[in-house]
Amino acid sequence: MVTASFDNASPAKPAAPGLWTRLRSWVANSWLFLTFFAGFFLFWQFSIDLFDIPRYILPKPTEIIVKSWADAPRLVWFTGVTGLETILGYIIAVVVAVPLGLAIAFSGFLRKTIYPFFVSIEMTPKIAFAPLFISWLGFGLLPKVIIVILVCFFPIVLNSILAFGSLSDELTRFIRATGASWWSAFLRVRLPAAMPQCFVGFKYAAINATVGATIAEFIGSDQGLGFYIQIQTGNLRPDLAFAGIFLLTALGLLLFGAVTLAERLLIPWHISVRRKK
Amino acid sequence: MGATVEIDSVTKFFGEGADEVHALGPASLSVEAGEFVSLLGPSGCGKSTLMLMIAGLLDRTDGEIRVGGKSVDAPRTDVGIMFQDNTLVPWRTVEGNVELQLELRGLEPADYRQRIAELIKSVHLQGFEQRHPYELSGGMQQRAAFCQALVHKPETVLLDEPLGKLDAMTRELIRADLQTLWMDTRPTVIFVTHSIEEAVQLSSRVCVITPRPGRIERILEIDLPRPRDLEVKSSPEFTAYTREIQAIFHGYGVI
Repeated sequence: MVTASFDNASPAKPAAPGLWTRLRSWVANSWLFLTFFAGFFLFWQFSIDLFDIPRYILPKPTEIIVKSWADAPRLVWFTGVTGLETILGYIIAVVVAVPLGLAIAFSGFLRKTIYPFFVSIEMTPKIAFAPLFISWLGFGLLPKVIIVILVCFFPIVLNSILAFGSLSDELTRFIRATGASWWSAFLRVRLPAAMPQCFVGFKYAAINATVGATIAEFIGSDQGLGFYIQIQTGNLRPDLAFAGIFLLTALGLLLFGAVTLAERLLIPWHISVRRKK
Repeated sequence: MGATVEIDSVTKFFGEGADEVHALGPASLSVEAGEFVSLLGPSGCGKSTLMLMIAGLLDRTDGEIRVGGKSVDAPRTDVGIMFQDNTLVPWRTVEGNVELQLELRGLEPADYRQRIAELIKSVHLQGFEQRHPYELSGGMQQRAAFCQALVHKPETVLLDEPLGKLDAMTRELIRADLQTLWMDTRPTVIFVTHSIEEAVQLSSRVCVITPRPGRIERILEIDLPRPRDLEVKSSPEFTAYTREIQAIFHGYGVI
């Protein structure tokens, strides 16, 4: 009879690396990117004088920082406004789209009615609705949140339908053979199995959320970074417009980073998360 | 001790009208309690289809299937099933995956502590209880999947090419474990395979299935001593059985 171990894998888990080791390996992996990034800004900084570019066309990165510092209170306030629109819209989109995606995946009726409707709306650039919503609902927070929801909703709902509708034949049969209740099978198998594909939608929506908020502010607003960028561009102040663009980028990164962190915490077992470790 | 499985003139057609495909039958087979029966045939011969119909996971077109004397008309929950692609989920450990079978059945995993430990030991996975499937080799995953399929002590075990994706050496090792598991508790096992050697080594009877449409061409009683180890496998009797089966497939142009 066969005894002992069969494979080279050992049962003991390796110890988690320390903070210092992790920092060092991060620098070792990212130095190329960091160098490129620094090189880009250095090139920008010195080419303004080198090519004699007028300041009202393009300022130096250092000038953007110094000049915008004077307008810091307004920039902070507007970042908060745009951030609120983005995050409110994003969260509402997730909360509505995931259960709807689940319902569509499991209902033949909804799959024949709402689903093709959604697919065709997905072909429409959602931003095209922005002027209408502003005209219906005015200059306040609500139309911006609705436009963010519109932009985020479809990628989340379409990926959720895919996620809940693509459990393997084997797992589906396994569930049926156990006689499990719908709820028990959902919590223990269907929901966790759907998470990776749902996160594809969450991430795509996170990238687009700030786009929705910014364009909505371009169209009709008296607050927010989109409004600020438009006004400062009109005032021939590209330095301040760039400050707004940097803050929008930071906002987008923050949202995307939060979603990625949630993904790591919720599905550490998924191949896309494990590969990054 | 296992349950009896009776298959009476079962047929299966897929599709309708011009697209209709005759997949299987009519096939009849009577499996006694505690028997180890292999459904042996090339891919596409309908052996997996027959297994799914026994489990109640696929409707039959015609005929009758009874497990433990009762007609199968819904998914049976008193069987243990395992597929070529295992049903281990990546977010649970080996132990957690075994417990998943119990939890889905509304059973309390705490009541099965000893059972789980024994099963894991019997397939030589001690020390790997807290590992995730992706940390294990293909062979170890299938061992864990055996524990998942057997933890609720099913009287009937349906195995659909569980060793199909493993390398020859690992298959050999796990076959020996499978034989021990069956000899210990004697459930009724229906084992789908395309390996002649595997079927002869493990089975009390081998159903040779020929394709298009799938038919049980011959049922061979395998009269060899157990456990069937390497010595039995190199005996002239063992070779005679494999030759006989090869001749049947050869006659059908399968090999």
